[in-house]
Amino acid sequence: MGNNKRSKKDYSDKKTKRKKKEIEDETYVDDPEPLDEDGVPVAAKKNVEKDDAAVPEDEFGAKDYRTQMILKPDHKSRPLWVAPNGHIFLESFSPVYRHAHDFLIAIAEPVCRPEHIHEYKLTAYSLYAAVSVGLETHDIVEYLKRLSKTSVPDGIVEFINLCTLSYGKVKLVLKHNRYFIESPFAEVLQKLLKDPVIQDCRLRRDTEDTQVLINQADKKLKAPQFGAPSSSTTQPAAPTTDQPDLEVVVPEDISDFYNKMDKQDEKEDEDNIMKTVSFEVNQEKIEVIQKRCIEMEYPLLAEYDFRNDTHNPDINIDLKPSAVLRPYQEKSLRKMFGNGRARSGVIVLPCGAGKSLVGVTACCTVRKRALVLCNSGVSVEQWKHQFKLWSTADDSMICRFTSEAKDKPMGCGILVTTYSMISHSQKRSWEADQTMQWLKDQEWGIMLLDEVHTIPAKMFRRVLTIVQSHCKLGLTATLLREDDKIADLNFLIGPKLFEANWLELQKRGFIARVQCAEVWCPMSPEFYREYLVCKTAKRLLLYVMNPNKYRATQYLIAYHERRGDKTIVFSDNVFALKHYAVKMNKPYIYGPTSQSERIQILQNFKLNPKVNTIFVSKVADTSFDLPEANVLIQISSHGGSRRQEAQRLGRILRAKKGAIAEEYNAFFYTLVSQDTMEMSYSRKRQRFLINQGYSYKVITKLAGMDEEKSLHYGTRDEQGQLLQQVLAASETDADEERVAGELGGGGGGFRRVGGAMSSLSGADDAVYHEYSHRSSSNVKHPLFKKFRA
Amino acid sequence: MKQFLLHLDETNTLGRRFIIQDLDETHLFISSDVLELLMTRVDDLLDQISFPINERE
Repeated sequence: MGNNKRSKKDYSDKKTKRKKKEIEDETYVDDPEPLDEDGVPVAAKKNVEKDDAAVPEDEFGAKDYRTQMILKPDHKSRPLWVAPNGHIFLESFSPVYRHAHDFLIAIAEPVCRPEHIHEYKLTAYSLYAAVSVGLETHDIVEYLKRLSKTSVPDGIVEFINLCTLSYGKVKLVLKHNRYFIESPFAEVLQKLLKDPVIQDCRLRRDTEDTQVLINQADKKLKAPQFGAPSSSTTQPAAPTTDQPDLEVVVPEDISDFYNKMDKQDEKEDEDNIMKTVSFEVNQEKIEVIQKRCIEMEYPLLAEYDFRNDTHNPDINIDLKPSAVLRPYQEKSLRKMFGNGRARSGVIVLPCGAGKSLVGVTACCTVRKRALVLCNSGVSVEQWKHQFKLWSTADDSMICRFTSEAKDKPMGCGILVTTYSMISHSQKRSWEADQTMQWLKDQEWGIMLLDEVHTIPAKMFRRVLTIVQSHCKLGLTATLLREDDKIADLNFLIGPKLFEANWLELQKRGFIARVQCAEVWCPMSPEFYREYLVCKTAKRLLLYVMNPNKYRATQYLIAYHERRGDKTIVFSDNVFALKHYAVKMNKPYIYGPTSQSERIQILQNFKLNPKVNTIFVSKVADTSFDLPEANVLIQISSHGGSRRQEAQRLGRILRAKKGAIAEEYNAFFYTLVSQDTMEMSYSRKRQRFLINQGYSYKVITKLAGMDEEKSLHYGTRDEQGQLLQQVLAASETDADEERVAGELGGGGGGFRRVGGAMSSLSGADDAVYHEYSHRSSSNVKHPLFKKFRA
Repeated sequence: MKQFLLHLDETNTLGRRFIIQDLDETHLFISSDVLELLMTRVDDLLDQISFPINERE
């Protein structure tokens, strides 16, 4: 409501603020020794955004690039602008949009993709990724020039050259169980070999001691084809034929070049014999050598020549004929297996877009022992189910390794387990110990990392030291973290191989059409009064327990139940979760809920028409596969976490029956208490989805809520009682639930709670006891032992 | 919003009390000389709870 007033006032001082920030940034760049950026290549440190400080700005902060960019005469038919600061703007309505889009996805990071204009940004990492999927410097620059409406600024060309020339020249290849560093450029290898650190890592076999380099003619195989017919995927000419009435001519050079690029992968295969030189390196020192090479600006690409690997036995799995890959799934896999070898990397697909099928297909392509790592016991079961659904693997080949289910690992082809199971450092049962031992002794063909954004780098390194795997494939929907550790993944796993556009998938019916709404619930006067006077932790409880919010929730649930929808209600706050659920008489799942109870509730939710609504806490954020759900109500959340917002949306994204509907077929409500911190969090959380092109509808008043007589907390008296309960709740109740491995920096579970001696000895009044019960009961759960004990 | 003003009034944040009469659910009768100060306070509050969406890190 006050926003207009504010923004007007702010314009004037925003500029000065921005200037100040720029100056700060610059001083940082000038700093001679940025110490904390260990292991990041020099080129990656360079930030093109800083290059345009001299460009004049107008009063709104817009930059004037007219001197650097010259408009081409046929600019109308070309789709993009390349700004000297590395940002690229693409018109999504352009006839050559498809060509440009595929290309940009390969070379740049998407920043913001609303309906008409998409914004991308060139970064060093994105260019590395481009090289690793087979693009060459010359092609990138050339194609960018052709697509651009204006001339491409020299700075950008330079930047691309800098980032790509040295990259991808050297490869780390695992062949016959030995690690080789391989390169078609002998001089590069010579240079590397002169480095003392690398010399140290080099492994000389006694017999081959005299032979410095291993020369070989490498015969490449044809790229593998995936189950689906390929005709559905390549349609580069389609955009022009789709809309003949528009009579827009695609400049010939653009489409020609596109076709050429598209065939590049195949072309590469036809150069059957390629001269390469290589030397062998010591397996234990892989990490050292990787780091050193990055410092020398020759980052290693990890590839796995799985077809020529005779040491590890093939496992006998194939895709079922019924498994049909969607075009974008196939595309992502082609990036991975482009030249007949498996590259390590990350594939980003929205939740519900069939990440598991991509994973299963990758395993079936490699056909070596596969290790699947995921977040929770439930998703272990789901992965097993996926394998059985899409591939010919049966029970004897899939082994689960969790605290609940331990199958016999010997002789199995696919092991499904959780991150915490592998990196667990305390004592294990004898049985688990045996399995771990076996796991360490194996050489894995492929390691699938589900929800790869969730794992902290430290835990991941631990996993890597335990497990030997030839190639790693990370799967995620949201490649972002609030702590910006995401760049680590570039070097721990590999570059981002593919990222899909959410809106496009939605349009084509692969994921549900979601209506996002933010419902503003006015704080009731009594609650707001308390909110203003009390401390931060309690505040959270107050705005979550806002009776108007409760009423809105109840109203929405009732409304959607009448429509026959399946609703999930999310609450991070356990106190609120329990209170809402008990009061409304609905089942709920949270951390301490046992595995069997969870599955029972989920089964009921899926099949029992009487159970249409469930309440869940943070545990259900990721990898809870609930295909039936199409309404999501969020009553409390983890601060301003963008990832959580996206993951939660993902719970209802799976395409619904009769998916290509005109109207929305899924609903995502966020309930926000007005005039509280929640408003700010909610804005912050929405950024990611907005950048993906989603828009939020703000609902200030739910029509018809007043007519609903059955809602709780209608009267002042009832609201007053609720307030008393909330105030009586202990401070720990205001806490969000903790999930192991989520809050990496949390350290121990220490918490300073102010209170009298009497509460320590349990002499508080009875109301207090009722709520503190939770914390004592959940000690049983092994996951929480660590944090709460 | 009324509660916020009441809160300011009670805690003497502006140095003195300014509410003359509590009229009804949504209205307060306040002395005119603190109006400007109050407006900036309300702006501050709104600043606190809104997140600038344009700024990218």
